[in-house]
Amino acid sequence: MDAQSEVQLGEKLRNSDPDAIAEAYDLYGRIAYSLFVRITRDHSAAEDLVQELFLRLWNRRREFDATRGSIGPWLLSIARNMAIDYVRSAQTRFQSRLRPIDQTDTLHFSYKPNEPERLMDAVKAVQEALADLKPNQRKVLELAYFEGCSQSEIADRLKEPLGTVKSWMRAALERMRAAAKGEAKP
Amino acid sequence: MTHPEMNELYELYVLGALEPELASEIDSHLAEGCEYCVERLREATLAAAAMSGMSEQLEPPKYLRDRVLASVRPRKQSSQWLYAVAGLAAACVLLFAYSLWSMNTAQSLRDRISVLTQERDQLRSAVEVLSRPDTRMVQFGNNNAPRGRVFLSPDGGVVFAGSQLPQIASDKTFQLWLIPAVGPPESAGTFRANAAGEFVNVFPGPVNLTGINAVAVSVEPRQGSSAPTTTPILVVSIG
Repeated sequence: MDAQSEVQLGEKLRNSDPDAIAEAYDLYGRIAYSLFVRITRDHSAAEDLVQELFLRLWNRRREFDATRGSIGPWLLSIARNMAIDYVRSAQTRFQSRLRPIDQTDTLHFSYKPNEPERLMDAVKAVQEALADLKPNQRKVLELAYFEGCSQSEIADRLKEPLGTVKSWMRAALERMRAAAKGEAKP
Repeated sequence: MTHPEMNELYELYVLGALEPELASEIDSHLAEGCEYCVERLREATLAAAAMSGMSEQLEPPKYLRDRVLASVRPRKQSSQWLYAVAGLAAACVLLFAYSLWSMNTAQSLRDRISVLTQERDQLRSAVEVLSRPDTRMVQFGNNNAPRGRVFLSPDGGVVFAGSQLPQIASDKTFQLWLIPAVGPPESAGTFRANAAGEFVNVFPGPVNLTGINAVAVSVEPRQGSSAPTTTPILVVSIG
């Protein structure tokens, strides 16, 4: 999807055109479903969460500024928070330290409309960059991203010094940041 | 914290993996409107979204697309809600009549139209909630106290409508709270009553109603509060 199409998608959402949800699903449904399955390890829950995610998008459709907003990053940020919230609620140990969903909602207003292509390119680049990470770097990144663990919690989980965990995390994020920006392997 | 120090923390900040004290420091800095850091936050958010690619890519079942699309398609209103919808429409007419009566100048007319437009949009949202098959209703109050109905739908949200709320100062607002069995109350929107004490508050969903035992109303500063600051004037059990 090019930037113009993304702007049109935003316009359709604001105009309550049901086709907008079909287009958004076709673009982001697969990656959202994969993310939900990875975090919840439950295909049935993932289906429910996909439905809730796009319903949330529909219910907030009038808030989209098509000239400034980009849907993908917002949708995937919300999806990750929803999945982690779901797992933590199920484990009855939920303590909200994630950025609240309402706060995450506002982030899309800071995106530029030329970012949809970048997002899908960035997703592919991140997938490829994973192979460059050492196992411990990948482990700390997965614990932070898929389970929402802080660096202290990761250190406890892995029984490693906090400084070591921070060092692994810094290296992993540096690689992910470079990949997402389309920069060559450092 | 310096910019080079913060520079390495934005991905962790976006992921919620940063220690609270560092996150607070970044919150404060962003609140000052630092353009450099807002740009870094934008980049970090994109990188965090791209990390969803770390999960194995799976094909969702074919029926899920239809299910998602069906969930946003307008449903036919069931007859059991027609009375409620008619009641809301009547409330809209009463509010409109009241507004006509209270208008003295062209400026106040424009202001009132703006308010009525918002109320119309709010009532449309309310009708969406009332039309959902999963919506349930709880009635509350009596002749000498605030009374009305709460409509609750996990997908559609919460509609809170009624009458006989007391008058409050112009710098105050009513705030609706969802009260869970465990944990702090969650805000479900702010609202005001008209001169007759009538009110409609629509909190669009989806909303997680699991474990919510009651709704409550407190009087808060005009901009609303993140947690109740006064004793609730009304508590409605919905368990």
